[in-house]
Amino acid sequence: MPKTVKCRRISKGIGEGEALVCHQPIGFNFGVDVPSGVITERHHELEGKSFKDKVLIFPYGKGSTGGSYVVYQVACEGTAPAAIINLNTETIIAVGAIMGRIPVVDHMEENPYNIIDNGDWVKVDAINGTVTITKKGGQ
Amino acid sequence: MFLTEEQKRMRDGEHGEPVQVAMEMLCALGEIYGAEKLIPVKSAHCAGLSLKSHGIAGMKWVEDMAAKGAKVVVPTTMNVVGVDRSRDLGLPAEWVEPQMRIQKGYEAMGCYGTSSCVPYYYSFLPKFGEHIAWAESSAVVFTNSVIGARDNREGGPSAWAAGITGFTPYYGLHLDENRTGDILIKVTTELNGIADYGALGNYVGKLVGEKIPVFENLGRPTTEELVYMGAALGSAGGVALFHAIGLTPEAPDRETVFRGKKFEIVELGKTELAKGYENLTSGKSRDVDFVAMGCPHCSLDQVANLAKQLQGKKLKDGVTMWIHTNIAIKAMAKELGFMKMIEDAGAVLTQDLCVVLSNPEFLGFKTLATHSPKMAFYAPGGNGIDVWYGSEERCVQAALTGRWEE
Repeated sequence: MPKTVKCRRISKGIGEGEALVCHQPIGFNFGVDVPSGVITERHHELEGKSFKDKVLIFPYGKGSTGGSYVVYQVACEGTAPAAIINLNTETIIAVGAIMGRIPVVDHMEENPYNIIDNGDWVKVDAINGTVTITKKGGQ
Repeated sequence: MFLTEEQKRMRDGEHGEPVQVAMEMLCALGEIYGAEKLIPVKSAHCAGLSLKSHGIAGMKWVEDMAAKGAKVVVPTTMNVVGVDRSRDLGLPAEWVEPQMRIQKGYEAMGCYGTSSCVPYYYSFLPKFGEHIAWAESSAVVFTNSVIGARDNREGGPSAWAAGITGFTPYYGLHLDENRTGDILIKVTTELNGIADYGALGNYVGKLVGEKIPVFENLGRPTTEELVYMGAALGSAGGVALFHAIGLTPEAPDRETVFRGKKFEIVELGKTELAKGYENLTSGKSRDVDFVAMGCPHCSLDQVANLAKQLQGKKLKDGVTMWIHTNIAIKAMAKELGFMKMIEDAGAVLTQDLCVVLSNPEFLGFKTLATHSPKMAFYAPGGNGIDVWYGSEERCVQAALTGRWEE
């Protein structure tokens, strides 16, 4: 039974995909390989993993403000996440996602880390402000 | 966030895609920072215009927005970039060409192609209490603190969005109650020259992070010394506003600047100042092959002082010296003969360029000498170069002798 939770809309649009859960902030400038969507920051929790077509869950962005253009760049290259869920979106991610038309939400009414696991199917509706989670294996 | 009917139409795309994108950005920022509404701004200053920040993706985005008819509606200036389009400095074409396309893209949107970190030195001087949307951390600190304009620490795209719409979200330093001091810095040592003020700014920036420092006993700084101190505060820390009692307009006395708030007191003496110098120094070899001045861009007075020190002399063989300023001050320096004095000595007066935003790695420099606390902060990481930091006079000596003397 899919579960739907309300959230705040940051960058409008609708996207869905498999969840990729990350507990660390992500810095897009100098931390991402654009052609593959792979995180390249040394010792990062997602080092070597690609966010392409995933619903990427991370607390907030970090690093230099040039990161906004890299978020836009992955959208242009087709290697962007299908959608982003943050605990608290900050300026770098918000601006880059609006430029690249990537749906972003934050402030879910339930903590995403408590209810979303890697591989769950997640639909982010950043027009109506909802996140719908279908657990892996249809539980 | 409250939007007027007209602002809603802008957000919903009735005025075209660029206005819509800009309005969506401002709405998202307004939501994130809890702004109640948008307020009009008098001017905007777009930063992060270098190819290093934009990348090819950013360049394409700028060109896309310009092609879709984006036009600024308030006076909008452009920040310093990574090329000097008036001359060939030996930078490779694959660097120069996309950087110039970024500049042209912003100019096509109606931004003034005076790419500089100090637009307030020529034609674009905000007033006290005026709401503006400027990026470039050193300019944010200067306009907020020394002039008393109302400005948040904008990023490149949010300043662009303000230029395109004429609005910014009403939060942060636009509200008087958020402009009170957080920490009192009692200066107990004498300060002499730009390098001292820069070293002090570095030390305090590291110490206070994003807080609002209030200086007591800051001496009698020149405008340029305050610009360089602000640049250090904004790079070593996230400072967007400082006050200096008896010097800056919102700080006639302690009571006014702290408004009854409890505050910490930190003394800053010789030891702390020396620590600022140490933070900014990464030089190993005393052989200097590159001297760069003017981060933020030199004023006419700074250019003239350097010209007088270089007049009739020659740079040491193998040393390159770039003196950074903008198109306006370079034009004055040229007309008044200072540029000739500089260039006869073998140094270069650059236009709208900053070496930190450029790619001097291509030119193979190893050791830099500078009087600029912001350049000394960024160049080791950004340009992979060792830095000696000190007074203007020491930097000129290094250019003439090729050595950083003790």
